[in-house]
Amino acid sequence: MRSKLLLPSKFKWIGLCLFIPFLIVGILNRYNGFQFDFLTIVREHNSILNPVQNLTDELALTGSIISLLMIAFAKEKHEDEFIYHSRLESWEWAVLINFLLLLVACWIFYNEAFMDVMMYNLLTPLIIFIIRFNWVLIRNKRSEEKN
Amino acid sequence: MQNTIKVERAIKNMTQADLAEKIGVSRQTINAIETNKYVPSTILALKMAKLFGKKVEEIFTLEKGD
Repeated sequence: MRSKLLLPSKFKWIGLCLFIPFLIVGILNRYNGFQFDFLTIVREHNSILNPVQNLTDELALTGSIISLLMIAFAKEKHEDEFIYHSRLESWEWAVLINFLLLLVACWIFYNEAFMDVMMYNLLTPLIIFIIRFNWVLIRNKRSEEKN
Repeated sequence: MQNTIKVERAIKNMTQADLAEKIGVSRQTINAIETNKYVPSTILALKMAKLFGKKVEEIFTLEKGD
């Protein structure tokens, strides 16, 4: 990816520092019903939306997606054509693996469990990309040390 | 595609880092090209050939199946 779409390299660490707390809040919200009280909003009764709603889950999901985007779109310290190539190749892998997992999941999970799968599926393309891309860089660094 | 960059580097007594700096890429990229994990762009191939004072086809050669 040419640098137009990329963020400065420090965003990799900022993203990582933000992702962990948002993920924890998201998991606690989903499985323990944890909510921040100050995020509860009360609407007028004639609204078509729920009269009372808590926005903790919206906050956790938005925060997780934005922080993962920061990690995925942060520049490497030395951005060049090999990095660009590895980036594109990793996106290709991420899309493919994501849909393969989704295909398997749609035959294994039903109802509420499938809703969970769909929710995680909002994050998996970014997570798979980040893992694949960094793995390529680490693998290459190791072989560099050997040579 | 095969290449003789490692040999050319040795002739010029250059490390991967020296070569990387001279043509404006990272050391990782030079390593990936030398180990045949990455085929460089024409621009990069021309830059390397110029630096080594050789023709591109003297450094890069096609393999069977390319």
